[in-house]
Amino acid sequence: MNAVLKETAHAIAPLAVHGLTHCYEGSNVLRGVDLALEPGSVLGLIGRNGAGKSTLIRAMLGLLEPLSGEARVFGEPALKLSDAAKARLAYVPQQPEALAWLSAQQMLDFVGRFYPRWDARFANQTLERWKIQPNKLLAKLSPGERQRVDLIRALASQPELLVLDEPAAALDPVARRELLREVALRAGESGTTVLFSTHIVSDLERVASEIAFLHEGRLILRCGVDDTKERYARLWLPASKSAAAPAQALSRRRHEDGSLSLVVERDAQDRWPEAANLPGARVDALGLEDLFVEIAE
Amino acid sequence: MDASLLTIQPNAPEPIYRQIVEQLRRLIAGGQLAAGELLPSVREVAGFHAINPMTVSRAYGLAESEGLLERLRGKGMAVAATRRASQSENQRLALLEPQLLELARHARELELPAEPVLRRLTKLLGD
Repeated sequence: MNAVLKETAHAIAPLAVHGLTHCYEGSNVLRGVDLALEPGSVLGLIGRNGAGKSTLIRAMLGLLEPLSGEARVFGEPALKLSDAAKARLAYVPQQPEALAWLSAQQMLDFVGRFYPRWDARFANQTLERWKIQPNKLLAKLSPGERQRVDLIRALASQPELLVLDEPAAALDPVARRELLREVALRAGESGTTVLFSTHIVSDLERVASEIAFLHEGRLILRCGVDDTKERYARLWLPASKSAAAPAQALSRRRHEDGSLSLVVERDAQDRWPEAANLPGARVDALGLEDLFVEIAE
Repeated sequence: MDASLLTIQPNAPEPIYRQIVEQLRRLIAGGQLAAGELLPSVREVAGFHAINPMTVSRAYGLAESEGLLERLRGKGMAVAATRRASQSENQRLALLEPQLLELARHARELELPAEPVLRRLTKLLGD
């Protein structure tokens, strides 16, 4: 019985998009994005401001109609999502605006009724820990406090799919760590699938199982976090050897003295490109942040 | 053992699961962790450090396959009792592979031929 359930769950990606394109006022924001999440995975979406992260998330959830391409949530078309599917997911936008005329407590009590697995105790405890005045109107809270209330709402609903757009911006380091802990344990133990966008790379390194780099509307890298660290490195070649640089590289930067920095990948036999063995060549391991800066520049 | 004994640096180039295995290796080699001592559960480590439980499982699995840890039925992971004896020379040599690769890389960067490096290494090992 369990095996059957598992197999069904594997067949249907909680979130999947294919060939998504979108543009605002003539400029392309998404230029053909394919992305699917495995159940129970934690995908960190990273990119510079304006890379299209929020647009991609909104299109994935059916909150905006893309120019072309398709988006599916639990296998249903995202633009015509059933109520049953909506009850299984929680999304926290960067700037929550809904139900502003209610207090935090009223809003949580109200929306809690719509979720079969609502955890009221978690909601109340976290309100207190995250120092939100329960009786203050949402409209009177700061943007950061608003997002914190919305994070509490999302977590208390115990969703199967949790989508967070830049959740770290609103939280101090202690609360941020607490959120990461929730995300990590829920993914690991309840099999919650998580998609979150961020520009704080170390958050992503803690909890994400995979990362996707969105750059100028395209996914330029999609890889397991550990794999990324082990598979990619920076290769530096002195000017005299720069002609021997491999043709394949994720990024290529020439310095003023003629030396060359490249982001290179191991081949199928785990070897670096030949040029790494040249005298004077150097291979440096890259943290995700350095990798991100190298290829997003 | 307490989960706080581990130090996690998420932004280091070394993946977190490798950081954990490396620290376990050091703690065991240094005697801070004695044979038979129980390790914190995957949940405890993941919760304390706010990291993905899959990462901790992967680290424990790797440490188990290297013979550092053993799984005690119903109790979780513990420091392996008979580590040395259970590992062949090849297995122990494989543990040294990352450092050897690193050494070879540095030697190449310094454009040193193999012979003086090997001579020096032989001397160090002989002491």
